[in-house]
Amino acid sequence: MLRTPLDGTSGTLAVTPSSYDRELTELALASTKLGSTDRLAIYNRQYWFRLFTVFHGAFPLTTRLLSHFTFNAYVSRFLVARPPRGWDLDAMLVGFDDFLLEALPAGTVPIAGQRVGIEPLAVVQAARIDAAFHRVFRAPAVEPFHPRAEHAEQLLSSRLSASPAAAVLEEHWPLCELRRAVALAAGEAAVALPERLSQPRFWLLLRTGTKLGLSALEPREAQLWRLLQELRVGAALEKLEADCSSGERVDLPTNTQRWLARSVTLGLWTGLEAAPPR
Amino acid sequence: MVARPPELTRDALGLGLRIPHYAHLLEHWPHIGYLEIISENFLGDAMPARRHLDSMRERYPIVLHGVGLNLLGHAPLDTAYLDKLGWLAEYVDAPFVSDHLCWTGGHGESHHDLLPVPYVEDLIGVAAERAAFVQRQLGRPFGLENLSSYVEFRASTMPEWEFYRAVVEQAGCWFMLDVNNIYVSSQNHGFSAEAYLRAIDFSRVLQVHIAGHSREANGTIIDTHDHAVADTVWQLYADAWKMGGPFPTLLEWDDRIPPLPEVLAELAKAARVRA
Repeated sequence: MLRTPLDGTSGTLAVTPSSYDRELTELALASTKLGSTDRLAIYNRQYWFRLFTVFHGAFPLTTRLLSHFTFNAYVSRFLVARPPRGWDLDAMLVGFDDFLLEALPAGTVPIAGQRVGIEPLAVVQAARIDAAFHRVFRAPAVEPFHPRAEHAEQLLSSRLSASPAAAVLEEHWPLCELRRAVALAAGEAAVALPERLSQPRFWLLLRTGTKLGLSALEPREAQLWRLLQELRVGAALEKLEADCSSGERVDLPTNTQRWLARSVTLGLWTGLEAAPPR
Repeated sequence: MVARPPELTRDALGLGLRIPHYAHLLEHWPHIGYLEIISENFLGDAMPARRHLDSMRERYPIVLHGVGLNLLGHAPLDTAYLDKLGWLAEYVDAPFVSDHLCWTGGHGESHHDLLPVPYVEDLIGVAAERAAFVQRQLGRPFGLENLSSYVEFRASTMPEWEFYRAVVEQAGCWFMLDVNNIYVSSQNHGFSAEAYLRAIDFSRVLQVHIAGHSREANGTIIDTHDHAVADTVWQLYADAWKMGGPFPTLLEWDDRIPPLPEVLAELAKAARVRA
């Protein structure tokens, strides 16, 4: 009852005391200032707005693309389906970006108070970017992996372990730039989605010390780093080559070496896992 | 090896550590009697939190204040959580640890709020047993904080302060007394804040919290921790000091946080108010 979903019809997400269980509300006393239902409603309101605030902090770009009101509506659906468990507030954020992928309408996403909606892909990419910033910043301390000569023989048949303090980001709109801008601009209304990029853009989000930084990636470089997170090194290189055009394949060996070396220098890997025996 | 921070004195003035404070602290290291951290913010393995904690524990005594214990919940105490809490207390060499006399969730779900219970005889023993267990697990003094609350229950058979005192005495633990919460609840429920204070055994007060609050149009006061301390709360604090000082005093300011020098100036008022 204390988590009764908010009433979206008023436009201000007010609580709906009329939907409270009567038997439960009779357990509470009225005061000279408020009836029992309204006293209980304080907790209902605190529940939602405490959790909304946590989500706004973790998904600042997504919040502003949708406006607080529309974003809160998706958060409340997510939390009704997956209420928080345990003491760790951070844990309730996990999976919200995946949830949006399923929950957003296929066409334009309506935004409360606006005539024009937003493309769902932009919202999902924003959520993935926000989730990555949140996850990378909070990653544990890690020791970067520096391969030595003795690793050469097993490299192709092994998998590189990705550092939790790094992530590859993809954007089809200048979302990372917009994320920086909304951090400086208070407000609850939706911000306009900038014009779509002519080509997707890729970034490496990396934590150095306690700071987060973005480095531009070449598209095939980004693809390689993503493949290396999923496949054995040899399989990743094969897949990359298969996807390249004949023109790209000419410089691929040199580029691949350069990109691999860069990934090691930047500390993207924490170890090498030998492939399981057959 | 981490240098041992100064001792926490009985008349120390402390600050609830919050993220906006870090920049000023790391640059200026102002004199602060001690810091209180929200335990849950440091139970994970996030590197930035751990690094900041390491910087702070070298220079200030640190006490722990939790919100996730669910002392009055139905579920068994979360022993994994208690293990982490014990580790953290050891890591910062916390003089004491506190949490709230409340429940926070049920049926596997958490409200992430501090929820009141009916104050009844039957619950005292249960609460005391759980608090005593927590104190044994932590191996250091454990304080229970009184809530600010917005609802009372028909089933209550005693005032909150009687329940609170009974639990603390039976558990052999401590009061973590929040005078702002006493004021907030007294206004919301129509009881005497002074009567509440008179029920407290100040020889068993670990620490006193002070904080700001907000008043709604309907007269309800909400424990928002987003303002300076109200004059009425300062008066209650002065009364508490007369009754049972000295005790460590901690200012909580969690929202709309002004620059740290302004927060510390507010904290410094405590020394003037109780003089």
